[in-house]
Amino acid sequence: MTTRTTTTSATSPRVLNWKTLALFIVPILLLLGVIALFWFTDGAGLKVQPVVPIEHLTFEQTILRPGEIELHVQNTGPQETTIAQIKINDAIWPFTVSPSNTIPRLGRAALTLKYAWVQAESYEINLFSSNSIAFTTNIAAAATTATADTKTLLSFTLIGLYVGVIPVLLGIFWFPALRRLGPRALMFLMAITAGLLIFLGIDATSEALELAGDLGGPFQGVGLVGIGIVVTFLLLDAISRRQVSVGRSEAAQRMTIALMIAIGIGLHNLGEGLAIGASFSVGAASLGTFLVIGFIIQNITEGLGIIVPVLKDQPSVPHLLGMGLIGGGPAIVGAWIGGLTYSQPLAVLFLAVGSGAIFEVVYEIAKLIQKDGAKHPMPLTIFSGVTTGMLMLYLTGLLIK
Amino acid sequence: MNTVTRRDFIRYGSAGVLGAAGLVSIMGSQQKSASLLPAPTGGHGGHDGLSMPGVTGEVNHAANGFNPTDLLTDFDYGKVSTLPNGQTLREYDFFAVTKPIEVVPGIQFEAWTYNGRIPGPTIRVTEGDHVRINFVNGTAHPHTIHFHGIHPGNMDGVYEVVPTGGKFTYEFDAEPFGLHLYHCHAMPLAKHIAKGLYGAFIIDPKDGRPKVDHELVMVMSGFDIDFDGQNEFYAVNAIPFHYDKNPIKFKVGETVRVYLVNILEYDPINSFHIHANFFHYYPTGTSLTPSEYTDTIAQMQAQRGILEFTYGYPGKYMFHAHKTEFAELGWTGVFEVEE
Repeated sequence: MTTRTTTTSATSPRVLNWKTLALFIVPILLLLGVIALFWFTDGAGLKVQPVVPIEHLTFEQTILRPGEIELHVQNTGPQETTIAQIKINDAIWPFTVSPSNTIPRLGRAALTLKYAWVQAESYEINLFSSNSIAFTTNIAAAATTATADTKTLLSFTLIGLYVGVIPVLLGIFWFPALRRLGPRALMFLMAITAGLLIFLGIDATSEALELAGDLGGPFQGVGLVGIGIVVTFLLLDAISRRQVSVGRSEAAQRMTIALMIAIGIGLHNLGEGLAIGASFSVGAASLGTFLVIGFIIQNITEGLGIIVPVLKDQPSVPHLLGMGLIGGGPAIVGAWIGGLTYSQPLAVLFLAVGSGAIFEVVYEIAKLIQKDGAKHPMPLTIFSGVTTGMLMLYLTGLLIK
Repeated sequence: MNTVTRRDFIRYGSAGVLGAAGLVSIMGSQQKSASLLPAPTGGHGGHDGLSMPGVTGEVNHAANGFNPTDLLTDFDYGKVSTLPNGQTLREYDFFAVTKPIEVVPGIQFEAWTYNGRIPGPTIRVTEGDHVRINFVNGTAHPHTIHFHGIHPGNMDGVYEVVPTGGKFTYEFDAEPFGLHLYHCHAMPLAKHIAKGLYGAFIIDPKDGRPKVDHELVMVMSGFDIDFDGQNEFYAVNAIPFHYDKNPIKFKVGETVRVYLVNILEYDPINSFHIHANFFHYYPTGTSLTPSEYTDTIAQMQAQRGILEFTYGYPGKYMFHAHKTEFAELGWTGVFEVEE
């Protein structure tokens, strides 16, 4: 019967008759049977009850107000969890909780402690579940959490402006100077851009993976990173190929690459803004002047990367400015999101999408380099350019890490 | 850690991590929600909520099978009879039993107990009495009862480990007079003590001690609920903050005698401090003359002593470990002195 089935499906794949349908359904019915067996026999002979309950709790946000600490947690374990007691810096402390201290799977709760915390001091808070499992979160340096008032929004906007928009635009101001360069220098610049982007991509991927490790199990952080990178890469690649196939001019295609670089860098800056905003809002950022200067120096190279593909062309000033905003502006949005409502799974996804976009752009630049270098190969120029690009970010990174 | 990188921003920022620290005692369904939800400061039985913040909610004493308030004055004189030689025989039945104890509201601790309570029964005999303890081990682990006092080696409860379902009879003459203790001496020792197998053992002098208005037993210990080798909670008579929520009451001018035993595991030293008063201290209770007049004493594990004091003014007076960390983790209480 097996043989016949195979033959049937192989020779007449178009026919979706009842028999084929039934053959598709049989394994599904068997599967349902197995599930039912497990369900009604408590594991069909397997001892599926764990020796100890498995509980996970993810701390999503810590909000500090004068005389009060509010913890937002999510139950990321396989079953419901009850928060029974809280300890802060080795003292048991009363708390209120809403909506309930029994948190269903993937449910959330806000726990409030009336606690006279001291500015700039650090705190360790332990939550004990009714199963005696301890969950710990730290406040590195206590400071009142920002709320969404005009002043805060303005300061987040300023942060985004300083670390994103301004440096990227400054980089774009090199456009007139760079146009005067010869083909070898241009090749070198493109290689630098590729190097910069490779570095950013690796950096963003590593950040995404690191954050992903902290996500609760159900979010499958690493899988999420994979989805973000692969889907973004393939989507941008499809868009770019489509543009080629509709027969647009080479200049237009280069413009598209520049735009995609801007988008990739923008996504990267969104992640950067998220991180800064989140830490700034809880006072963890020793975000000194030095650090901001570091970000400016590092991000000016991003502006450079955006314009390199279109140096041979005549992009209009609004075009250039627009790309600068696309590349730098998301830092502002990121700072808002990160500072006011922080979601770790979303942060992971942003970072992953950013990496996917950046890697795709590197791929586009590589194609560009290959095309331009077809007549006069300059392998050493490319080597030294990529190396320079990566080193530029590495060295400026020393300022802010 | 103050060099904050972009990544660290995120980490410290909002996204703390959660460690599932230790493992656990599994108990059935726990007390749920509503009863735990708490009036943060008003939740303090009796007083103003200005002393210890303390735990949220109240434990279920009925389910635990004992109330620390009752344990204070629960002296067990045993089944009394006279031996042919005229000696008084005091006989006790002890059984080791595993029992989930609600240590703090909402958290059960899979305790090992003598007779289903922590601390175990307070044995009270008189110097020279013959003491007989019929011990049955009803748990899945081997246990013993090791008494502090003077007795033959084979009655010391160390090498004669009592297996699951096994029995052993400890028999000895009570000496010397004083305040002593008993605890399990099966290995690993720290674990067997920390799980709850301990109690006070009082040998009164032949002619007794001077009469007082109140005699109270206090056994200081802690609980390592997540098995990380550190106590999460501290208390006298097992339940953290119990006497803070349920103050111990007596009147101005009444004499009070406290039998204080420290059996705290995992921390080297415990202490006892009373507010706005001083006490006479009799280390180990082996002399009828106090050695010290003070308001704070320290005891290492198995040290014990008798305190005598009288309050001259009405009011609420805290008593607690003057290792204040212990106090904030449960070892704290209140004397409520009335006119």
